[in-house]
Amino acid sequence: MSDDLLATAAAAEPAEGLRAVRALHTLADRLEALHVERARQAGWSWQQIAECLGVSRQAVHQRYGKRFG
Amino acid sequence: MFERFTHDARTAVEQARVEAGALGAQRIDAGHVVLGAVSEPDAVATLALARLGASADDVRDILRARPDGPLDADALAAIGIDLDAVRTQVEATFGPGSLDGAPGSRPRGFDPSAKKLLEVALREAVRLRDRRIDTGHLLLAAARVGEGPAQDVLTGLGLSPQDVRDAVAEVHATRPAA
Repeated sequence: MSDDLLATAAAAEPAEGLRAVRALHTLADRLEALHVERARQAGWSWQQIAECLGVSRQAVHQRYGKRFG
Repeated sequence: MFERFTHDARTAVEQARVEAGALGAQRIDAGHVVLGAVSEPDAVATLALARLGASADDVRDILRARPDGPLDADALAAIGIDLDAVRTQVEATFGPGSLDGAPGSRPRGFDPSAKKLLEVALREAVRLRDRRIDTGHLLLAAARVGEGPAQDVLTGLGLSPQDVRDAVAEVHATRPAA
């Protein structure tokens, strides 16, 4: 492998990894929204949802309160 | 309102619908209209963006990267996640299209940001005393609205409203709007 190719591979690796992380964040956000909405429809409190997600009640409410209040 | 649109502006609106559908969007927003405006190589908006070093592909990349854009199946596959398998699971619980819209579907129409962009484009044409609305006016409208999906595209391209106004004026100077 020439030095040029090595340099390209090294540059591409973080970009590929970061792209995967970004895609994973987006996927996780969508799954979270779907499940929070369903939990609210099933009568779950914000506190119960927050405990399952491992975050504060305020964090969940701030994020979804308007949408799924 | 489309009777005052030039041929390239009508094409832009139709392409906005096609692009929004390809991106799996439920409705056409102002970002899709900006992409539609630069879909033809000789459109005023395309020439103006080219002067600023930007292309339709750049605009499409920005729309793809939005949180409501298509999920990046290739990037997920690279870390061992099969998006099709995830989608099958999720849709079994939440119904078809719940994880993402259906790419290739036909969007239902313009959302408020797109309607606003078209209105502002009309006002830009009136302000410039142009009889017709072309894709240059659509781009001027994007630079005028100040927030929302069209502004996000310009920000993503690293362009200020003044950059856009100057570039459109330069193209209009060589190719006056009818």
